[in-house]
Amino acid sequence: MASRKADFSVVGHDQPRLDGAHKLTGRSLFTDDVVLPGMLHAKIVRSPFARARILGIDTSAALALPGVKAVITHADAPKLYVGIEQPLFRHTIVNYIGDEVAAVAALDEATAAEAAALIKVEYEPLPALFNIQDALKADALLIHAKAKGNIAWQQAQDLGDVELGFANSAHVRTDQYTTHASHNCYAEFHVAIADWSLPDKLSMWTPTQTAILFQKSLAGALRLSDGQVRIMSLNTGGGFTGRTSVRPHHYVAAVLSRKTGRPVKIRATADEEFIACRAGGEVKYTFRTGVSATGQIKAFEADISFDTGAYVESQMIVLTLTSSYIHSLYKIEAARYSGRLVHTNNIPYYFHHGGGLAQMAFGLGQHMDALARELGMDPVDFHLRNGVTKGYTSMTGTFFGSCGLAECITKTAKQAGWKRKYGKLPPLKGIGIGVGAMASGAKGVFKHDTSAAFIKIVDDGTMSLFVGLPDMGQSSHTAMAMIAAEVLGAQASDITVISGDTDIVPLDVGALIQRGTFNTGNAVKSAALDARKQLEVLAAGRLGVKPSQLVFRDRQVYPKGQPEKAIPLKKIVYDTLHSREGRFVMGRGFYNSPKDSGTMAYSFGAQIAEVTIDPDTGFVTVDRIVASHDVGRAINPRIVEGQIDGQVFSGMSQVLYEETLLEDGQVMNPSRLDYRLPRSYEMPKVEHIIVESIDPFGPFGAKEVGEGPIVCTLPAVANAVANALGEPVNEMPITPWKILQILGRRAKG
Amino acid sequence: MQLPPFAYHRPASLDEALARLSTAGDSVAALGGGTDLLINLKLRLERPRALVSVRDLPELAGVSLDASGTLRIGAGERLTDLAAHPLIVVPYPGLAQAIRAVGSQHVRNMATLGGNLCLPTRCWYTNQSENWRGSQLPCWKTDGQVCHVIKTAPNCRAIHSADSVPALISLGARVLLRSSQGERELLLADFYRDDGIENNVLAPGELITAVLVPPARVRSTFVKAAARTGLDYGYATLAGALTGSNRVPKSLLLVAGSVGTMPLVLQKPAQIILAEGLNEAGIEAAADAVRDDLGEVTNLFTPPGYKKRLMRGLVRRVLHELRRQKLPAAD
Amino acid sequence: MTRQLITLIVNGDRYQVPVAPCETLLDVIRDRVALTGTKRGCTSGACGVCTVQGDDGRAVLSCLALAIEWDNRPVTTIEGVAGGDELHPVQKAFLEYGAVQCGACTPGLIMTAKALLDENPDPDEEAINEALAGALCRCTGHIKVKIAVREAIKAMAADAAPEDGHGIQEG
Repeated sequence: MASRKADFSVVGHDQPRLDGAHKLTGRSLFTDDVVLPGMLHAKIVRSPFARARILGIDTSAALALPGVKAVITHADAPKLYVGIEQPLFRHTIVNYIGDEVAAVAALDEATAAEAAALIKVEYEPLPALFNIQDALKADALLIHAKAKGNIAWQQAQDLGDVELGFANSAHVRTDQYTTHASHNCYAEFHVAIADWSLPDKLSMWTPTQTAILFQKSLAGALRLSDGQVRIMSLNTGGGFTGRTSVRPHHYVAAVLSRKTGRPVKIRATADEEFIACRAGGEVKYTFRTGVSATGQIKAFEADISFDTGAYVESQMIVLTLTSSYIHSLYKIEAARYSGRLVHTNNIPYYFHHGGGLAQMAFGLGQHMDALARELGMDPVDFHLRNGVTKGYTSMTGTFFGSCGLAECITKTAKQAGWKRKYGKLPPLKGIGIGVGAMASGAKGVFKHDTSAAFIKIVDDGTMSLFVGLPDMGQSSHTAMAMIAAEVLGAQASDITVISGDTDIVPLDVGALIQRGTFNTGNAVKSAALDARKQLEVLAAGRLGVKPSQLVFRDRQVYPKGQPEKAIPLKKIVYDTLHSREGRFVMGRGFYNSPKDSGTMAYSFGAQIAEVTIDPDTGFVTVDRIVASHDVGRAINPRIVEGQIDGQVFSGMSQVLYEETLLEDGQVMNPSRLDYRLPRSYEMPKVEHIIVESIDPFGPFGAKEVGEGPIVCTLPAVANAVANALGEPVNEMPITPWKILQILGRRAKG
Repeated sequence: MQLPPFAYHRPASLDEALARLSTAGDSVAALGGGTDLLINLKLRLERPRALVSVRDLPELAGVSLDASGTLRIGAGERLTDLAAHPLIVVPYPGLAQAIRAVGSQHVRNMATLGGNLCLPTRCWYTNQSENWRGSQLPCWKTDGQVCHVIKTAPNCRAIHSADSVPALISLGARVLLRSSQGERELLLADFYRDDGIENNVLAPGELITAVLVPPARVRSTFVKAAARTGLDYGYATLAGALTGSNRVPKSLLLVAGSVGTMPLVLQKPAQIILAEGLNEAGIEAAADAVRDDLGEVTNLFTPPGYKKRLMRGLVRRVLHELRRQKLPAAD
Repeated sequence: MTRQLITLIVNGDRYQVPVAPCETLLDVIRDRVALTGTKRGCTSGACGVCTVQGDDGRAVLSCLALAIEWDNRPVTTIEGVAGGDELHPVQKAFLEYGAVQCGACTPGLIMTAKALLDENPDPDEEAINEALAGALCRCTGHIKVKIAVREAIKAMAADAAPEDGHGIQEG
């Protein structure tokens, strides 16, 4: 049995984030805070049309404006592509409102903006497509010649005998769901500074979740070697899956910097955040599930259509992940997926909070709830009956080395008073459950899923830990310091975490697919063990015991069971350096999952939401959320709670509030005011239950808490609303008007 | 977003300010708290050549009662101060609620009452980037001949959403307007026009200096239905002010906001209450009657049908609150 | 563009800065005075990350304030909140109770909370919500922020109480 919290002096204890005081006093640097000598400011000229032919671009007036240093168009970067099929600048046809046409660099931002407005682009507006149905019509215009039928990518797969599964089902239910576009809404807006003033090195400061992908993408597109691109992410003001790849503005800054020989800063305005920086698009889901008379899932079928917008990039990953998601949650014997990415002239679809899985869970969770109700089964029992368990191997080959799903469900139900409330609440009050699972990292982006770490220990006992994992707010750096501190018997505050500069830090795939704690954590643990091994030589000799008998704890080293013989850790470090060998202690480690593909560990959760509907306004108030999450082990419990909180907020916000409202390709609410994120008043009480299933492969048994909770929140809130309303709303967000419409119809009928 | 260049004046007296405002007509704008004007400037919705700061003019300051009991509120008073002012909170709870419904506390710390009364109408076809606006068929606001919200509309149907206004109108408030030509006083209800552009009767060079709330022993309340509490434009708002008893109400003004280009006085629901009394049956009848009374609403920010359904709920809510409320104690 | 020389008083320090009328307090504080703790967000008053404290102690949106109107009027920014190395009780509570995540909205939230408590040392739930509603925080969903503000109120009340412990408020 794995060790308990009491066995650790750092891990499992609340540790305020190490960079907290910096952030709280305004000392923390974000990209927009950086000013480089000679730095210029850039603005992008964007298409105001959803689809149009460019008849001409006249840059002469802009170039004549004093203070303008460069204007670039397609001619300056004819072979530069953003992702797969989006040229950096358009010169023939623009495909969405916001499509880049030109850019300008000037001495200051105001001049750049003035110059951008002076660039005259003549357009001939063309017919355009704005939804999946129209785009899939046989006679629809083709947005990209290569994408026949406007289908950018599609997949179809059968696992097991699906027909037999449905034939053996006592009940089969089909439901359809729609989710609409939404946006990540990070506190820090999109910004980049490129310095490519000398041809052999491009340095870029920008917030990111993955410096390595930025480095590789920029190098590839700009025909540089990886080592010629240096990414520096200072603090990153939120990610929510939205800062995982290079966006057009990054390339624009780089090209302008090369052209002018000066550093160039570019930052998004409030409306550009929505128009040009890619949020989520409309998705249509059809789920069909067959179950036995006792509620066991016999077959499952999912058909998913994404409005992928004008250009496709990495959205295939979203489709693949959403299709196979169900195997991480339920024991499935037969499954069929079909899905497609459909081009429209909307803003290109990109990842948003929940990575597509949470949005799908809005539908999937309601579908399973409806299925349980149809069977006369309590949803709690349904999830318990079908949920994956420890030791199970799914038909997709995932082995569940740890699984706290059942524990999450039963504990959450107990704390929420489920049995007392479900089906027994007064009208317009509702309770609902959502369950979910989430991977801790996965191979797929690369063949490897490697994270590496270095640690150096100075002879005063302080340490520097070098990791490539960014911290977008999730407190990953503090968690990494805690893992190293636990191994080395130090305190987390003894460790400075160095990150964010690809010239300095070792490789890390980044904060993607919730891999930080698991992958980088394992790498850090390995590096710390390597450093400890170097210290054990001297310590074991001094104490006259075998290295395996040493305990490193509380800044001391002592033989197991004999703390009175302790030698201060820093003395061991000092003496190791100031010895004849003169060993400077440097530990190194890396972690890559031993699997060829997929995920080593899944975390699990269950949430129960209680809501009240206001019949006068149609507003839904979330009164209470009980959220449990199986994190394997909570490295830093209060931070785990904070991760749960943020996802509960985002999840309930997506169900009830948020929507990027699109009309003929234009975002109608492109501001932090009109994009309706809830705030202080709207947040419910959140109760946390942390379940520790101690994963055999995770560092100290830990798994992710990065996006696991949000996949539970969406179905929990949606099911609670359905419970209060007496019927489900199959479209997200669930707006007050949909609610009043249903209540009005009921009053009449 | 950056502000366009403009000249800036901070006159020391009202007369000097009025002189400044009258010299260049439309291309000079009065600057109060700036919380709306500066956003519109950043969006290039307005392009004044000069801003005249009027916020700190002594003539626009002060909250006081005159001998007749009329409450005078200086137009330069900050909303935060007004929302907590004893001369407002106790006798006019509806007004205090409405003022607190404007923006966020941050905004109210800066914004003035005069600024809120002059808040331009909003529309998401115009409150957009200049680049996109320029690609659209010009609407009334951009010197065109079409309304993107109501295609058949003969003028701009952008939404008026200054939350303090319905409450003030329900209380029978009047405004004092000054220009270098002189002073005039009119009912706030007569200050607004049913046009999203020429939204009020303020003449070039004219400035609101004060709001006058007549003395009355009145029950009053205000509700705002917005997606979020704090810092949001309402889907709809409703202010109500009532004199008399529940059994024999003497007067009732119900004023809706965020439903059209100007605040709307709801006639039928009020008539029903005055005829039936403020009781359960009367409230239900009044709520049912609101639909016809609303006529054409601007379905902007919400889909068709919702505002009318919502307003039914708000009428019910306001009337229940008025019925429950005790008359503020007399001095 | 004509510029006028103004005296900006930030955290007690006086800066002579030439400003054009169209320059916001936010831009001048960040770009000219080089205090970048005050963050640039939506620049239209909806996100609150640019919040500073004005001369009346209240929260001000520096993105909607003209620098020229702040001539000789003291402003407090995030850099002026802590006393030397000692964090302000609001900052301490944010740190201890996990109310800081990405940190981009944090300066604005701290200024908002400090302005609230400076004016009203014992705000109720409604007053806390009212103040915080002007500032967006995607990471924390405001949940731990509200907890931190309540804890800061308790800590400040305890600090303000007499030595013998009388008058300490129970939370």
